[in-house]
Amino acid sequence: MSFPTPWRTSARLTRRLLAIKQPYRCLSCSLRLAREEARQDAKTTHFGFESVPAAEKQSRVGAVFSSVASSYDTMNDLMSLYTHRLWKDHFVRSLNPGIHTSLFPSPNQPTSQTILDIAGGTGDIAFRLLSHATTVNNDHSSRVIVSDINPAMLAEGKKRSLQTEWASSERLSWVEANAEDLHMIDSNSIDLYTVAFGIRNFTDKMAALREAYRVLKPGGVFACLEFSKVHNPILNGAYKRWSFGAIPLIGQLVAGDRESYQYLVESIERFPSQREFAGMVEEAGFLLPGGMEEEGGWEDLMGGIAAVHRGIKPTEG
Amino acid sequence: MSIFRLLQATCSKPPSRLYSSSNFVPSCGLSCGRFYHSYEHDRPPPFSPTEDRILSAALSHVPTHGFTTTALTQGARAAGYLDISTNLFPAGPFSIVNYHLVTQRLALAKDVTPARHDPIKIPTNINKLILRRLHANKAIIHRWQEALALLATPTRLPTSLRELALLSDEILFLAGSTDVTSVWYTNRAGLAVIYASAELFMTTDTSENFVETEEFLARRLEEGEKIKSFVGGVGTWAGIQAGGFVDGMRSKGVRI
Ligand SMILES: C[S@@+](CC[C@H](N)C(=O)[O-])C[C@H]1O[C@@H](n2cnc3c(N)ncnc32)[C@H](O)[C@@H]1O
Repeated sequence: MSFPTPWRTSARLTRRLLAIKQPYRCLSCSLRLAREEARQDAKTTHFGFESVPAAEKQSRVGAVFSSVASSYDTMNDLMSLYTHRLWKDHFVRSLNPGIHTSLFPSPNQPTSQTILDIAGGTGDIAFRLLSHATTVNNDHSSRVIVSDINPAMLAEGKKRSLQTEWASSERLSWVEANAEDLHMIDSNSIDLYTVAFGIRNFTDKMAALREAYRVLKPGGVFACLEFSKVHNPILNGAYKRWSFGAIPLIGQLVAGDRESYQYLVESIERFPSQREFAGMVEEAGFLLPGGMEEEGGWEDLMGGIAAVHRGIKPTEG
Repeated sequence: MSIFRLLQATCSKPPSRLYSSSNFVPSCGLSCGRFYHSYEHDRPPPFSPTEDRILSAALSHVPTHGFTTTALTQGARAAGYLDISTNLFPAGPFSIVNYHLVTQRLALAKDVTPARHDPIKIPTNINKLILRRLHANKAIIHRWQEALALLATPTRLPTSLRELALLSDEILFLAGSTDVTSVWYTNRAGLAVIYASAELFMTTDTSENFVETEEFLARRLEEGEKIKSFVGGVGTWAGIQAGGFVDGMRSKGVRI
């Protein structure tokens, strides 16, 4: 694969920025922090490569997203080499939300789905879910609940929904919640749980997975789209240089908040590998798809820059 | 490139007892010979109980809905799952095709007792085994061209060929021809070509109880027996046969 032109453009931009300013944090510092992390105190958690007390992380994550809410797309563009919209399209299309009732009705079959989009801030996934259900499956009743820990992100999402046909639809609703505690959502009530570019920010990922398992109906689906680990060492090296070096600087340029972007980039590095995360999904009780696939349990996008994980809640046991 | 050449490229070793297997090893593929043979029942089942229930139910919907997402969804519903649960099968309808191939191969291994090695009987044994396997396609034969189209898609081709090779190994093992004989099709690649062409022929066969397919198969095997196995000649012959056959079927409107 080859990098698209933005890579070169932005690399040039980075060099220009580097020439103007002294970088205040370098890759080697980050690596040093990563090594120190091995000896860290058990009560701390990761904030990027900095170790912070678990309670503090939640508020710092909040701060990051408040400050980047509106320039957040720019960041996603850069991190995904301008492909995150395609990934999101693919993610939603492959999940095939909605019920195709008109084609083959069966008695006693639910005719609509309740979908929960966690860390759904900008509404990006929610709008796609509703469009797919409606236009592909001709399903005019399935609903999406958008949930996010950060009211500023939810506000941004509501604002964006005004540009869509779902602005005042009762098929779209908003809930402020920490993904690790969804007490306001009933057990066994959700058909599809989605989380896109959110789970790496959660303090206790296992707790979030257990909550996902609890709220899903038997047969319901957990689906996660997240930046992940690049397998090819050459591509990995290039992508790391790109993300660690260029992005924080560009982040400063677009949002004036270098720290937040640094956090976002480093949290990607912190995230478990595809295999480890698939193991966690399984541990939470889900069935993993694709025993016959090369990589059962997940799907890599662009060599692993991002990955889709899915799990199905079994009907028995 | 003909199916034969693809197979030949991936199977450099002759078949032996070791190759015959009850289910495939995903990371291994055609090129590696560490399969266990049918006698060993310690292999994990290829499908989980949930996959089994959904896919077997889906298969029962294939005669009406074809190898489609609709059949898969109906399978999920019948097994007490939700429409969205079909996410268990990222390969979609191809999962039903694969399920049929794997379960029918395993059924052959389970139901047939391996013949004792007797070179004279091998051609007859092979003929019987192929027919037995082909008859397992009867219920869905009018949909099988859809399956072939899915099997031939570039991303699925490696899985398809691996499964075809495993079936060939199983048939050879059950026929008792685990040692080299002089008949060219008593190897994985040769048998695969004969099986695949007979299977394809059967999709357009409207004769009573598929007698024309039976005759077609008999002719292919007879031809094969006349050709002694010598390197090169075999490949060329089979390549021409398979290539010409595919072209012929295409001209008849078969989607492959
Ligand atoms: C990078 S954004 C992703 C937004 C959206 N899903 C998308 O793909 O466009 C990450 C989101 O995760 C949210 N978040 C972080 N920690 C969370 C938690 N513990 N529970 C729920 N949401 C959380 C943030 O507020 C932010 O909106």
